Amino acid sequence: MTPSKFVFKNLIRRRGRFVFTLLGIMIGMASFVTFMALGGSLKSQIERESAALGANLVVTPKGSCAYEQVSILTGEQLPTNITKDEVAAIRSIDGITAIPYLAERSAINNRPVSVMGILPEETRSFKNWQLAQGDYFPNDTADGAVLGWVLAEQFGLLPGAEVRIRGNQIKVLGVLEETGGKDDLTVFLSLPQAQRIYEQKELVSYVAVRVDRLEEVELYANKIKDKVSLGVVSDKQMRSSVLSIVGTVNITLQLIAAVAILAAAFGIVNTMMTATYERKREIGILQAMGATRSLIFRLFLFESGVYGLLGGIGGVLLGGLVAVFAMPLISQNAATSFVKGSQSSLDPVMFAGAILFSTLVAIVAGLYPAIKASKLSPVEAISYE
Amino acid sequence: MNDSVISVKGLVKEYGQGATLVKALRGVDLDIARGSFTCIVGPSGHGKSTLMHLLGGLDHATSGSVLIDGQDICQLSNKDLARLRAKKIGFVFQFFNLLQSLTAIENVQTALMLAGVSEKQQQARARELLSIVGLVEKAAAKPGQLSGGQQQRVAIARALANDPPVLLMDEPTGNLDSEAEAEVMNVLKRLNRQGKTIILVTHSHEIASSVGNLITVRDGQVEIPERIKKAS
Ligand SMILES: Nc1ncnc2c1ncn2[C@@H]1O[C@H](COP(=O)(O)OP(=O)(O)OP(=O)(O)O)[C@@H](O)[C@H]1O
Ligand SMILES: [Mg+2]
Repeated sequence: MTPSKFVFKNLIRRRGRFVFTLLGIMIGMASFVTFMALGGSLKSQIERESAALGANLVVTPKGSCAYEQVSILTGEQLPTNITKDEVAAIRSIDGITAIPYLAERSAINNRPVSVMGILPEETRSFKNWQLAQGDYFPNDTADGAVLGWVLAEQFGLLPGAEVRIRGNQIKVLGVLEETGGKDDLTVFLSLPQAQRIYEQKELVSYVAVRVDRLEEVELYANKIKDKVSLGVVSDKQMRSSVLSIVGTVNITLQLIAAVAILAAAFGIVNTMMTATYERKREIGILQAMGATRSLIFRLFLFESGVYGLLGGIGGVLLGGLVAVFAMPLISQNAATSFVKGSQSSLDPVMFAGAILFSTLVAIVAGLYPAIKASKLSPVEAISYE
Repeated sequence: MNDSVISVKGLVKEYGQGATLVKALRGVDLDIARGSFTCIVGPSGHGKSTLMHLLGGLDHATSGSVLIDGQDICQLSNKDLARLRAKKIGFVFQFFNLLQSLTAIENVQTALMLAGVSEKQQQARARELLSIVGLVEKAAAKPGQLSGGQQQRVAIARALANDPPVLLMDEPTGNLDSEAEAEVMNVLKRLNRQGKTIILVTHSHEIASSVGNLITVRDGQVEIPERIKKAS
């Protein structure tokens, strides 16, 4: 007999209670791990998308706020109200490259996808796209679609196939090489065709701007504001406001998970308190056999710690599975859509930290019952029936 | 005095205070000779169990002294008392002596663990102890699968684990029928012949009349019976 074997035998003497207490901490930790993994991947994904945009300044629609900035990075639908004249005015400024986009949504086989209307040649050089298969748009007004890599892969679409967008059969011209961002999941159309299909006569959603001299970003932002009454944000501002929105969502989710863990911790307190009552007489017997108070304290603390250790391991496995498999399926809104097509950030250090955290929580939860158990006087414990 | 394994002087134990004060022991003097078999009898509630707890270092006396092997245990810290219980005393109580989640042999091994015996040595020693009480074949049984008499014999094996000089038994046969009681008493008498000092509380006249020394605890005091007085 060793103390750890002794603890193990006591742990499983009430199987049902053991399993249910363990499930409590496991579920709490699983939700915590899921949200942590999600949060980590959101952050890196936001930074990637912001870089993929390739812009120093973004001209956003009239009446837009921070939420629209999230949509620009995720490829969600935007209020579309920037006119042809406004685009022309922006493009007339010297020292910048300005590229307009029409951001829309469609569905292929009932799965939502982004549809982007672009100026084919300019966008291609702006984003430095390479073609993996087929052909690119032959000219700036050509009909036909160019697909992102992951999207073509997912739906098994090759050049020559047709996609149905808003009731229009559109021929797939080519497939882009993988970019690692949301472009991989987008259907690109030429701007005129996209405007026709979505009935957005000569309107665009946003304009991405790159300035020739980076140190003059502020100056050009003001120049644009002088010419058109539209919102202008720098990529840095956009990144930080999007990060703070996503961060808020994320912290809220983690708080919910923290509450779940707190509830599970009280489950452990409850189980361990019940155990000290149930084993009151056995504690007395152990003391008569020569167990010190400190040993009894440690045995009980060890027992509750095991709940945290096992619950942490189970929770990390469960949470990891959810983050990998379930999360991409439910990522339909702006805050979570970054996860699409990207690997969740399953970080071993985070997992080890989560298991350690769960064990610590369980040990803290076990403190009070363990103190109670060790404070029992031998005679009192033995006299208990 | 050299031959007394336990020596008690002016032992007082009071519970509570003020209006609820209970004087469980009111000045007990007692010497237990090494290798003796002592029976403690007396009416219910007169202090027998209280005396046993103090002899075994399970509780603190209000005043007086208890010497075990010449060492005054009333001066010991809780931790040292625990060590004393592990090495010098074997307890058996009236019922539910065994740890319910462990098998017979694991119960014995736990006592060995508490005295610091390595896990390797526990197995052989525990089997040896179970064979002393005639229960090797029940080594893997849980307490619930043992009869009352068998449970008490496992408890005796466990009490013997660290070869303590003294066994303290508080009505070990109180819950047993006469057949099981006889089994347990046979084991105890054999152990006593092999040199163990045994102190046993009982309400059974049969047991009381069959062992060497008889002590009556009445009203928190010890009455030394005639035959011992005459002998000394
Ligand atoms: N923890 C306690 N608190 C208060 N009083 C107690 C406590 N333990 C015992 N007593 C009292 O001390 C007295 C002696 O009790 P003890 O248990 O020693 O009697 P006993 O001789 O063993 O009786 P029995 O034969 O019924 O076991 C009793 O009056 C009892 O009520
Ligand atoms: Mg009693």
